[in-house]
Amino acid sequence: MNMHAAPSGGVTGAIGDIASEAARRFGAKTAYTVVMPNGMYGKLTFEDVDRLSDDFAVYLRERCGLAAGDRVALQTPNCLAFPVAALGILKAGCVLVNTNPLYTADEMERQFADAGISAIVIVDMFADKLADVASRMPLKHIIVSSVSEFMPRAVGGVIRLVQRFWDRSLPPVTIPHERFAAALREGGEIRKARGVTVSGYTAGMGPDALACLQYTGGTTGVSKGAMLTHGNILANIAQGETCFAGNMRPGEEVMLTALPLYHILAFTANFLMFHKAGANNILIPNPRPISNLKRAFENHNITWMTGVNTLFNALNNEFWFAESPPKTLRGAVAGGMALQQAVAERFKAITGADVFEGYGLTETSPIVTFNAPGKARPGSIGLPMGATEVALFDDEGRSVPDGEPGELAVKGPQVMKGYWNKPEETAKAIRAGWFLTGDIATRDADGYLRIVDRKKDMILVSGFNVYPNEVEDVIARHPGVLECAVIGMPDGASGEAVAAYVVPRDGSLTADALREHCKAHLTGYKTPRSVTFRETLPKSNVGKILRKDLRAEVLAGK
Amino acid sequence: MVGGFEQAVLAAMIFVIMLGMGAALTPRDFALAIKRPYAMLIGLVSQYGFLPLIGLGLALALPVADPVKIGIVVMSCMPGGTTSNIFTYFAKGNLALSVLMTINSTIVGVIAIPILVVASLAVLTATGNLEVVVPTQNIVLTLVLLLAPVLIGLALRKWNANVGALVELVGGALGIIFIVLLLVTWVPRNWGFLTETPPVVFLGVISLGLLGFLAGYLFSMALKLGRWNAQTIAMEVGIQNGPLAIAIVVFTFVGPLAPLQQQVLAVPALYSLFIVISATMLTLWFRRTNAADDQKMPNALL
Repeated sequence: MNMHAAPSGGVTGAIGDIASEAARRFGAKTAYTVVMPNGMYGKLTFEDVDRLSDDFAVYLRERCGLAAGDRVALQTPNCLAFPVAALGILKAGCVLVNTNPLYTADEMERQFADAGISAIVIVDMFADKLADVASRMPLKHIIVSSVSEFMPRAVGGVIRLVQRFWDRSLPPVTIPHERFAAALREGGEIRKARGVTVSGYTAGMGPDALACLQYTGGTTGVSKGAMLTHGNILANIAQGETCFAGNMRPGEEVMLTALPLYHILAFTANFLMFHKAGANNILIPNPRPISNLKRAFENHNITWMTGVNTLFNALNNEFWFAESPPKTLRGAVAGGMALQQAVAERFKAITGADVFEGYGLTETSPIVTFNAPGKARPGSIGLPMGATEVALFDDEGRSVPDGEPGELAVKGPQVMKGYWNKPEETAKAIRAGWFLTGDIATRDADGYLRIVDRKKDMILVSGFNVYPNEVEDVIARHPGVLECAVIGMPDGASGEAVAAYVVPRDGSLTADALREHCKAHLTGYKTPRSVTFRETLPKSNVGKILRKDLRAEVLAGK
Repeated sequence: MVGGFEQAVLAAMIFVIMLGMGAALTPRDFALAIKRPYAMLIGLVSQYGFLPLIGLGLALALPVADPVKIGIVVMSCMPGGTTSNIFTYFAKGNLALSVLMTINSTIVGVIAIPILVVASLAVLTATGNLEVVVPTQNIVLTLVLLLAPVLIGLALRKWNANVGALVELVGGALGIIFIVLLLVTWVPRNWGFLTETPPVVFLGVISLGLLGFLAGYLFSMALKLGRWNAQTIAMEVGIQNGPLAIAIVVFTFVGPLAPLQQQVLAVPALYSLFIVISATMLTLWFRRTNAADDQKMPNALL
C-alpha cells in the first residue's frame, strides 16, 4: 500500500470538527473535569469547549495574525485550558507543538527554535522559564494560562492562594504576555463583531495538512518533531473506534486522564477519541504522589482509564485503591511501555477490569496494534489496527518467518509524514514506505504480535540474544519485587552479562531468593548474573524505566 | 477554669473542624473500617483495658498526693477525645477508624467509666463506696459534636465536591488554630498549677499519654493491624477526653468530697496541656513516616 495515495485511510475533515460535532451531539454534558488532589474541581461542557476553542482560534488568527501552518506551542499540565487551547490551535489551522511543562529553559529553546513557533500557550507555574528562553530567541505571542482556569471563582482563588503562598509554585511572569482568559474574551468579541466562521480556517486543508509536531527521542535518541497530519490522527481515532466498537457508550463514559495530555497516547486516545465519543474526561494535573488520584476515584464514577505499567503498578500498591477499588471501572488501556503480566493480573484481581495493552509510537499517532476487548491475548500487543500492515524484518531487510524475531515495520494511515526539517532522519526511519519501529517482535501464526524488546536494549550473552523484557517479566512476578530493570553489562567472559536492578517491596527480599526464582523460570544464560537492590530506577516523563540512563549511571559509578 | 463563652467558642470551633473531618471522608471509608471490626475492638480493649491499668500502675508507683492519684486514675478511664481525630487527620492516619473509635469509646464509656473508676479507686484506697457520676449531657454533647458535623460534612462532599474540599480546608486550618489556641491560652489560664505542681505530677500526666500511645501502638502491631491502623489506634488510646474528665470530677467530688475537687482537677488540666504537645510531636513523626511511604513516581508525570 502506498500511504501517500491513501493518506487518510478514508477519513476526511479536520480534527477541530470533532469539537463542533461533539457539541452538537452532547451539548450541555460535561466534557472535562479537572480534579485537584483535594477533590476540588472545575468543568467544561462540550458546548463550552467548542465555543471557547472557536474564540481562541479567532484570537490566534485575527489578533495575533497567525496563518495556517504556523506553529503554536502548548505547554501545560492536564487542566481545562488544554482542550480549549489545543482545539483552538487546530481549528485555526495552526500546527500544535505539544511541549512537556517540566522542560528546562534549554530544552524549551531547542524545541521552540526547531519548530519555529509563532506563539506559545504556557501555564503560569512554569512561565518564569520563558524569560530565559525569550532572552535567547524571539517569542512573539505569549499567552499564560493557569491550572485553575475555568474553575469556579472561589475554588480557583483558593487554589491560586495555595499555589502562591503554600506550594510557592506561582512565580511572577516577568515578560509581556496575555492572559488566556483575556485572549478568549478578545477572540470572542472579534468573532461576534466580524462574524468569523471558524470552520473557514481549515476548510481548504486536506487530510495531509500538518496538525501536530510531536517531539520524540525516537529510535536514534536525537529529539525531533514527528509530523502528524490531521489525517494521521483522525485515522488513528477511527481505528481505535473500531477496536472499541460496542464497548464505548456514547455520552456515558468517564475517562480518567492521569497521563499527560502532551503525550501522544493521552492526546489521541483520552483527549480526541473520548471527546468524540462524548466522554467526561477527568483531568489530573499531577498524579504524583499517586494518592493524588484518590479523590478523583472517590468523587467520580470512572469507567475507563489509560496508563503505563508504572501507573498500574503504583495503583496496585496503594492500599486505598486495593481496599476499595472503583466499582464502575470497565477497562483500562495500557501503552507507552511493556505491560507486565503480573501487574495486569493484579489489577484485574483488584478491580475486575481488564487491562488492554496496545502498542504504538509517537510516529504512528500512536496506535499500531491493540488487544481489543474480546480479542485480547495476554502477553501480546494484539493485532494490527485496521488498514495497517506490519512486517518483521531481519538485519538484511528480509521478512522473517512466524515465530522468529525481527524488527517491526509499519505501513498505515497513522504513520507520520516524516520528521520536521530532518530529511535524513526521516530516510532512516521510513524505508520503502515502511516505518521501522526499532522494536524487535515476533508474530504468532494467527497474526498476534509480541514485542520482544527494543533493538538497542538487546543483550548479547555469549552469542545468545537476551531480551530484557522477558527477564524483567519473570523478576516482576516475584512478590517481593516492586520494580525492576534488566540491562547488559560488559563482561570479559561472555561479552555481555545480564544485570538486574531491583526496587524491593520491603527489606525481606534477598538477592539469592530472587536468583533462585529466576533460575526456576529462565534458561541459564538469561538468568541475571548480578542482582542489585536500589531505592529507585531512572524513569522517563511517562514512567517508562530508562535502561539507557540506568546503564550510564551504573557504568559511571564503576 | 474555662468560662461559658469560651466553652461555646471552643464547641463551635470543634463543630467546624469536625465538619471538615467529615468532608475528608466518604461513606466507603466508614464501611471499610466497619468491615474489619477487630481494629475497633483492639482500640476499645486498649482504651478501657490497658490504659486504666497503666493509670492505676502510675497512681500506685508515683509518690504523689492522693487527689493526684485519683485524678490520674479518672483520666485513664476516659474515652478518646475529639482532638484525636484532628491529630489523626494531620498524621494522614485512618480518619474513619479514628472517628468510629471515638464514638465507640464514648458510648461504651457510659457503663465502663463508673465501673473502672470505682474499681481502680477501690484498689487504690481500699474504699470502693464512691458514687461516680457520668454526666450524660457531656456524653450526649460529645457525641453530637462528633456525629452531627461529620455526617453533615460527608453529605456536603457528596453534594458538591468543591464545597466539601473548601470545608475540609477551613476545618483543617481551624484545627491548627485550635491546637495552637489550646496551647497559648492554657499557660496563662493555669499558671498557678504550673508553678505549684511538684515535678513528679508532671511525670505522671506526661507518662499517662505516652504510655497510652505506646500501648495502643504495640498491641495493634502485635495483632498485625499494620502500621497505618496502629498509628491511628495509638493516637486514639493516648488522647483522652479531658473536658469529660473535668465534668466527671466536678459532678462526682461533691459534698464531703468537695475539698478534694480542685486538687483532683489539676490532673486533667495538666494532662490536656501535655497531651497536645506530645500528640503534636507524634503527629509530625507519623506524618513524616507516612509521607516517606509515598511511592516514588516519575518526576515529570505532571
